[in-house]
Amino acid sequence: MWWRSASFIMDRQQNEAALKGDTIAPTDSSISNPNPNPNPKTSAYYETRAAHHGVVTSDWLAQAQAAIGPDPDPLPQLRPDPDKPFSVINEFNNWRKQPHLAEAVAAIRALAAVIRSSQATTMMQLEIELKKASDSLKSWDATSISLTAGCDLFMRYVTRTSALEYEDFNSAKSRLIERAEKFGEISYKARKVIAMLSQDFIFDGCTILVHGFSRVVFEVLKLAAQNKKLFRVFCTEGRPDRTGLRLSNELAKLDVPVKLLIDSAVAYTMDEVDMVFVGADGVVESGGIINMMGTYQIALVAHGMNKPVYVAAESYKFARLYPLDQKDLAPALRPIDFGVPIPSKVEVERSARDYTPPQYLTLLFTDLGVLTPSVVSDELIQLYL
Amino acid sequence: MPDVQALVNEFVNLLKKRKIEGSQATAKQTAELLRSVISHQRVPHTNQATSLINAVRAVGEQIIDANPIELSVGNIVRRVLHIIREEDLSLVTDAMAGFGMSATSDDEDDVDRDDQPALSAAAVAAAARSTLRPPSLQTLLEDVTDSAALPPTPSSTGDSDGKSRSVEKGTRGRKLKHDVIEAVNELIQDITSCHEQIAEQAVEHIHQNEVILTLGSSKTVFEFLCAAKEKKRSFKVVVAEGAPRYRGHLLAKELAARGLQSTVIADSACFAMISRVNMVIIGAHAVMANGGVIAPIGLHMVALAAHRHAVPFVVLAGSHKLCPLYPHNPHVLLNELRSPSELLDFGEFSDLMDSATSLGSLYVVNPAFDYVPPDLVSLFITDTGGHNPSYMYRLIADYYSADDLVVKQRPTTGS
Repeated sequence: MWWRSASFIMDRQQNEAALKGDTIAPTDSSISNPNPNPNPKTSAYYETRAAHHGVVTSDWLAQAQAAIGPDPDPLPQLRPDPDKPFSVINEFNNWRKQPHLAEAVAAIRALAAVIRSSQATTMMQLEIELKKASDSLKSWDATSISLTAGCDLFMRYVTRTSALEYEDFNSAKSRLIERAEKFGEISYKARKVIAMLSQDFIFDGCTILVHGFSRVVFEVLKLAAQNKKLFRVFCTEGRPDRTGLRLSNELAKLDVPVKLLIDSAVAYTMDEVDMVFVGADGVVESGGIINMMGTYQIALVAHGMNKPVYVAAESYKFARLYPLDQKDLAPALRPIDFGVPIPSKVEVERSARDYTPPQYLTLLFTDLGVLTPSVVSDELIQLYL
Repeated sequence: MPDVQALVNEFVNLLKKRKIEGSQATAKQTAELLRSVISHQRVPHTNQATSLINAVRAVGEQIIDANPIELSVGNIVRRVLHIIREEDLSLVTDAMAGFGMSATSDDEDDVDRDDQPALSAAAVAAAARSTLRPPSLQTLLEDVTDSAALPPTPSSTGDSDGKSRSVEKGTRGRKLKHDVIEAVNELIQDITSCHEQIAEQAVEHIHQNEVILTLGSSKTVFEFLCAAKEKKRSFKVVVAEGAPRYRGHLLAKELAARGLQSTVIADSACFAMISRVNMVIIGAHAVMANGGVIAPIGLHMVALAAHRHAVPFVVLAGSHKLCPLYPHNPHVLLNELRSPSELLDFGEFSDLMDSATSLGSLYVVNPAFDYVPPDLVSLFITDTGGHNPSYMYRLIADYYSADDLVVKQRPTTGS
């Protein structure tokens, strides 16, 4: 059984240790300290991802769907104590701990909590407060693109929905909070829309290569299986957090024929593959994507063999970044376990993600529709102009 | 409306027998047919737009089925549906502006609207207008109603129809129909004049002493080349004959009659000639949403040759050829297999082709179209100007509304 494997247990122990560190450390920090991340050496975003996908089952997916019911606030016990000073980072970490919530949803919920606890009396004051909060959030985990994109999107919304439309400040405030609470629903709906849009592209008898675990890609494949499409999935292993194993596990439960590959077997199997499906941690302005390590080389191989590469990503992952090459991004480091001791002289590449340039992507499936990569910059320019 | 049904049947017949050639003629006749459908449609007092949309959809379904390969039929049906939605919306907006505040509690599920009666009519109108626009990042946080999840337009406009009815009953019905017919007339005008619009841009693209390669014959290309010639450009044209229909011969003849130096080559000589060519200009059958082109057979080969030698590959297409669909499986879905008589004369090899006997082992395949993927196309020239293949989505968003992409109303079972 995969979850009993030695390297996985060690990975998980490390993750848990790191997570504990995460939850304790920020309590004594406040907004005045811009970068209280206890372990700046590793990427908090990828740590949480690994931890979440360690517990991924169809049960939590069901929970996730139930959570977006009529009650917009499923976990009221997470509210911060009234006597404790409010910290946006605490709030964010509370939300982020729930595995069914996307990172951007957690960010926007945290910002909504800022609005709720705010003492501001004018729109301008509120905006400044929000700006401070979102800056501190962004600097707390600079490696998380969805966090940055979510904060930016919400800030943009606040600025545009200024008091012009609402004479009353309080009603504007309650409207902002209401929209932020609804964002979980928007994110959930986005996944449904993407799954629907991509059904046309999955034809009977096709073979799909997927890389890592992506909630959206899983949703797409699940819907295709429910629509009685006959297809076969190749899952890469997704070292080192082995997210591919988890995806294959889930797909097997849906009775989808699935084959596991080690990450280095992609080129070997590519001639059997009809299309590559990947998720994205972030979609950048060039139309390229930032995703789990290994996506770039899969896209290169697929391009070399003339296979389409489809990306499934919600539109709130569109980020205002324009990386020119792989090293242009702040590296998101994570621990990698090789199973054997590595001599200290040997350097280890520990980055968790890579950048896939747009020319290697065929189409993006987003909740805005099926897009070519060049549409991304168009959307971003429209939003931030 | 029996006379309309007769018109529809006649058109369906013509389409089925492939009697209408060329996407421009098809597009124009489709638009004219839909115009008469709309003008004969009796509109009730409520839900006028919905009844018009349903009528157009019903007819559209029939004529799309009659010739699914001629994508311009579907394009025009979708354009007309979009026109109806737009005109209806602009009428509703006008009416709301006239009323002032009475229509604030629109049926959109917004909590704030109820406790905000002073919301301006302009804001309501803006919200209504945004339902026509494709979803974008800007509106992501604003509204929960999702265009893909449910078609909100007909119901919401129908509702406000009911409200506005009390004030101006008869005039509005006639006005909507009148406006729609007016807009369809404009559309027909656009289709007729698209050749001139495209040809106007010719001098910007064709330069002195250039060599242009084209394959087969397309009216758009002919007009384009002639327009450049009329503006005193001197250039040479290489025409690949376009087997098996050899329409390239006709084009070369017509060009020579206009005083343009033209050379006829065999299709198989394209690669040999391409290094001497400055630009490839062709006409398309249809342009897909990803920027791929459905073009007469043989053009994929030309496109690959042009790509190999870095020769610009320019596609001329009127906006009626712009199709909002994606070619999921282009090799199978969007092709027509024409009669073998274009390749072989009757009687030739007929003993080998007799499938009844065991000797029948010779088959003839005569596909009509090629799919040229978007990365082989350098530029599209439409009646609105030159565009990159990756820009096609924007034109599509302008011309079609997202609700109309699937014209068929019955649920398709997983195709």
